Amino acid sequence: MNGTETVPHPDDSDEVLPGARVLVTGASGLLGRSVAQRLVDLGYEVTTLQRSASGVEGAREVRGSLNDADAVAEAVSGQDVVVHMAAKVSVSGPREDYVRVNIDGTRAIFDAAEAAGVRRVLHVSSPSTAHSGSSLVGVGAGPADPENAEGNYAQTKAAAELLAEERGRTAFGGAGMDVLIIRPHLVWGPGDTQLTARIVDRSRSGRMPILGTGAPLVDTIYIDNAVDAFVAGVRRLPQIAGRRLVLTNGEPRPIGELISGFAEAGGAPRPRLRIPPAVAKVLGLVVEKLWALGEHDDEPPMTKFLAEQLSTAHWFDQRETREALDWEPEISIDEGMALLAAHVRATGSV
Amino acid sequence: MTSPRLADRAQSLLRRRTRPLEPEPARLPAGEAGRAFPGLDPQWSRLVTTEVADGPRSFHVLDNGPILTARGHTVRGTIVAVHGNPTWSYLWRRVIGAATEQAARTGAGWRVVAPDQLDMGYSERLAHDAPPRPVRHGDGAEATGGYRRFAQRVEDLDAVVEALDVDRGSPLITLGHDWGGLVSLAWAVRHADSVDAVTTLNTAAHHRSEDPVPAALRAALVPGVLEASTVETTGFLDVTLSLVEGGLDPEVRAAYRAPYLTRSRRGGIGGFVADVPASADHASRPALDELAAGLAEWDVPSLIMWGPKDPVFRERYLSDLQDRLPQADLHRFETSGHMLAEDSDVAGVLLTWLDERFPGSDGPAPATEPAERRSPEPAGEVLGMHDQLERMSVENPDDPAVVDMTADGASLTWSQLAEEVDALASGLADLGVSPGDRVSLLVPPGNDLTVILYACLRVGAVAVVADAGLGLRGMTRAARSARPDWVIGAAPGLGVARTMRWPGSRISVRTMEGPAGRLLDTVASVESLRDDHRGRRPDWVPTPRPRDQAAVLFTSGSTGPAKGVVYTHERLGALVALLRRQLSVEPGSSLIAGFAPFALLGPAIGATSVTPDMSVTRPATLSAAAVADAARAGRATMLFGSPAALRNIAATADELDPAEEEHLRGVRLVLSAGAPVHPDLLDTVHGIFPDAEIHTPYGMTEGLLQADIERAEVHEAMATGQPGVCVGRPVAGVRFALAPLDAQGVPTERLVDPEEAPGTLSELVVSAAHLKAGYDRLWSTDRDSRRDDHRDLLWHRTNDVGHVDDQGRIWIQGRLQHVITTPQGPIGPGVVETPVDGLAEVVRSAAVGVGPGGAQAVVVVVEPESGVGGLRAGRTPVADPEFAARVRGASPVPVAAVLILDELPTDIRHNSKIERSRLAVWADAVLAGRRARTP
Repeated sequence: MNGTETVPHPDDSDEVLPGARVLVTGASGLLGRSVAQRLVDLGYEVTTLQRSASGVEGAREVRGSLNDADAVAEAVSGQDVVVHMAAKVSVSGPREDYVRVNIDGTRAIFDAAEAAGVRRVLHVSSPSTAHSGSSLVGVGAGPADPENAEGNYAQTKAAAELLAEERGRTAFGGAGMDVLIIRPHLVWGPGDTQLTARIVDRSRSGRMPILGTGAPLVDTIYIDNAVDAFVAGVRRLPQIAGRRLVLTNGEPRPIGELISGFAEAGGAPRPRLRIPPAVAKVLGLVVEKLWALGEHDDEPPMTKFLAEQLSTAHWFDQRETREALDWEPEISIDEGMALLAAHVRATGSV
Repeated sequence: MTSPRLADRAQSLLRRRTRPLEPEPARLPAGEAGRAFPGLDPQWSRLVTTEVADGPRSFHVLDNGPILTARGHTVRGTIVAVHGNPTWSYLWRRVIGAATEQAARTGAGWRVVAPDQLDMGYSERLAHDAPPRPVRHGDGAEATGGYRRFAQRVEDLDAVVEALDVDRGSPLITLGHDWGGLVSLAWAVRHADSVDAVTTLNTAAHHRSEDPVPAALRAALVPGVLEASTVETTGFLDVTLSLVEGGLDPEVRAAYRAPYLTRSRRGGIGGFVADVPASADHASRPALDELAAGLAEWDVPSLIMWGPKDPVFRERYLSDLQDRLPQADLHRFETSGHMLAEDSDVAGVLLTWLDERFPGSDGPAPATEPAERRSPEPAGEVLGMHDQLERMSVENPDDPAVVDMTADGASLTWSQLAEEVDALASGLADLGVSPGDRVSLLVPPGNDLTVILYACLRVGAVAVVADAGLGLRGMTRAARSARPDWVIGAAPGLGVARTMRWPGSRISVRTMEGPAGRLLDTVASVESLRDDHRGRRPDWVPTPRPRDQAAVLFTSGSTGPAKGVVYTHERLGALVALLRRQLSVEPGSSLIAGFAPFALLGPAIGATSVTPDMSVTRPATLSAAAVADAARAGRATMLFGSPAALRNIAATADELDPAEEEHLRGVRLVLSAGAPVHPDLLDTVHGIFPDAEIHTPYGMTEGLLQADIERAEVHEAMATGQPGVCVGRPVAGVRFALAPLDAQGVPTERLVDPEEAPGTLSELVVSAAHLKAGYDRLWSTDRDSRRDDHRDLLWHRTNDVGHVDDQGRIWIQGRLQHVITTPQGPIGPGVVETPVDGLAEVVRSAAVGVGPGGAQAVVVVVEPESGVGGLRAGRTPVADPEFAARVRGASPVPVAAVLILDELPTDIRHNSKIERSRLAVWADAVLAGRRARTP
């Protein structure tokens, strides 16, 4: 992209093109960092907002938490688009932490946006906001449901998503704003400390169970595909605002096969430990409670939420997502596994 | 319709003093808190008060007429719909809904008027001072207790229809169910000059007084029980509502029960039951007899829609109705029972039938009227089924015609076969088997079956061939639906026929001495009929005409209940002409019939037929040695088999000794029919029959031979890498057309010629002189299969999907019902299965879709070669990741999951048609994390 090229002001265009100013919150995580970096590389003027250093080269960095009004105002002001990625993502911990980051933080972002006249937000959410513990088979993106969502994370993210949609309708004295909701499901790949590294680590120590048959089909998305999709979401936001899109590779796989694949790519033996799902659920509940009593840096090894995630199907109809974003995943699950394995071989870690 | 316990309850209830039932005027239907009932538009409801025989009465009527008028729609005609006992006009809500919807769509629709009968639904409740009881002829007027009797019901209907201002200038149709069937039919007979068609669901036009009342109803007629089960309790009501296959939605059930919640509102239910003409002197009998007689004299267009699983209106009532309305179109919903209005698409079939009988003036006219559509010319000279046999008996009298290896190689020469057939035909004719009579053949393949079949064909009887491959339940259903007049069977088959109470007079194959014959209640034996008529020819029996029915064959039922397929003599003749040409039959031709349908055609095509020693129900039991034995005994030049049979022949070929191998060298042609065969298996078979051409023809029960391909061509075609299995090019006299599939896997209505859409995934549609004449007693199914209007030809929708390539080769991807609708578009299972079947670890595979239509994920279920272990990832049906990767590598489309199953479920007949629908249900459960029993 030639920096001297005249770029139409995004507000006048159907698309948000390079040259536009974009804030990415939560850029210290793998996905946020990668999206911010890609936007920089494409020629967007990128600001990041997070507590620790993002490491994104070529971006303006604002350090601070979502609950720090000054930092938020500073970061949001003057942006064409806010990509709100920051969230407390976990399966354990006290509820207040989730509320503070996920609900209050989202409200702070929208308040600041409205105060600064920023009219476009890509709100990053989760498919778990719309579903209880039942299995999801080829479903679309239904409305968020905080009452029935499972666990603190999903419940607070559901409330945040409703808040985002509400602002989309009511901001600016009822004129509304462009809000696009994207719900990625299980992002993985090199550098992913959340899912990939944990499965690999636990497999190495023989603590990674496969629940029941390991058969339930689960959708995931390889990191590079997710980054492409978010960039597409930023670009097409004016045309597709108001939608909710679940984001996956569109290649559901049996959960056991995925876990084995991650373990193998990470150089760990395939998990052999099999636990009946019902046992795991009870076990998870107990561990969750015990874990909450003490101080732990690590996540508990199994929670009820995780047990459900690992023993029921979670896959989605991707037709609307692909049509809306005008995007197709470039890297298949198998290719992603090979890339992950190469990365681990080269760097020694996920 | 009562439980024994109800009788006790009845006694206790009777001890109470019977209170009179209070009258109540008609009112509008409403559920709890005034809510509308599901599927019932409150705008349809109206109350009508009109003068009937005993004064003014108020009726609740469902009537979409006012809506049609208000919306400016044209009224095409009126359907008068009458419910039975103990339902109400709610029964017709789908018919009314569909008719109203059709009007909205096309601007013209049917007005449906559906009154609640008096004392029923939301119509007026009459006063009753006594419990209902059957009234005998000669009883005084006071004996009725104020309950309506049949004749009055007809008059009531008369009055209501009169009050509704029905247009007599446009078509007038009646529709009924249960008692409403009788009432509507009687009303129609009375207005024969203005009624244009009659249609009915399960009902009885006539009940012979010498016949017992159906057991299910008998209990309710016991004095005391009648009142207790119908009026005092909701027993009768609840039992009837339980007759919905798959159960009723609770809200719909509540709607059916709503008008009958209190005792005082249930008088009509008891009144109807008391009016069942159980005895000869029942007061309603004369009116019912009058109806039955009137119906028989009336040649009115008729449609019968029937649910066979009805404990009250059993097959004999359908038979009686058909006898009275021989012109009637019949559609049997095989999986439905008494409440077919709830569990079948009655509305759809009815409206389609009306469209055809009373075409709207505004629809586009068909290019060719259905009646004018023709089949292409046959592939050769069409002879009577009997002619070839006669010719052979003159030209080659001493050559073997049939050889039966199941009976130690017993054989008949052509002249012997012709004599036996003539003798038996004479015997059957003497016994009273008449042209058009249906004869169910429960005889295993062999010489007996061949003689019996050709004798039946000779006298014009229609052979019903429900083979053991359907399983007992399937055969029973088939036997009942085909309604045979005669059953010819060997001992076990006849025993089954008797036990399962299949219709038809029974004829045993062998003469049965003493108690056995009495037990099976046989009227004759094939053996004695033949022996008593030796040397006779049935010259006094005219040979059948070309359009006469010749046979009813049954589909294997892999996609639903088996369907009866009717062949006429001319269509069987066309098939014979095609086979003679395709197989190059000449004197000395001899075939081993490892595939039942072809076995029976041997005598007609003039080839020696050898029945190999195998179990009919397990074609996979045909061994290489048995084939060699048959080849030796019959000097066979051809082998017909199924893929399962070929696989077993290949698996047992090691056991052949050199002499046996030599016998197989005489085989010049191997045919495998019934399901696709992997090219690798064809190569293996070629190794066993080195001098034979190996063909895999494509066909179906509805048209046994449509396309053909030889092994070398298979390889050539497969090398092009196109999806599916190549079945070659159309055989002589067959035309193909295509109905391309949309994204939801639905074929288009408009056909295109193959060259217009090369490579497009489509339903295959065929036209040929040797196709079925029709489906038996499945009006709607038959109409659907032949609905296409294309190039003036009569077409058959095959339900197979595939494509035709730019070389004119036909490729099959599977059954329409098994199409997987992925986000990338629909695919047939064969696209995945064929390459996966080529993997060394795989015996066979099935590709099924899981998830919602249009977004389905592809799942491959693999049956591993025996002895191949370690394909599973531990104790789970999920394949080991490495094997899954191999399957994914073989598949041209993304595969979500690979599952392992020790044996894939298949149909019994061919042992090769995989039951993918069952597998899909199983895979769906497994992959959603639910418990699943092995399919």
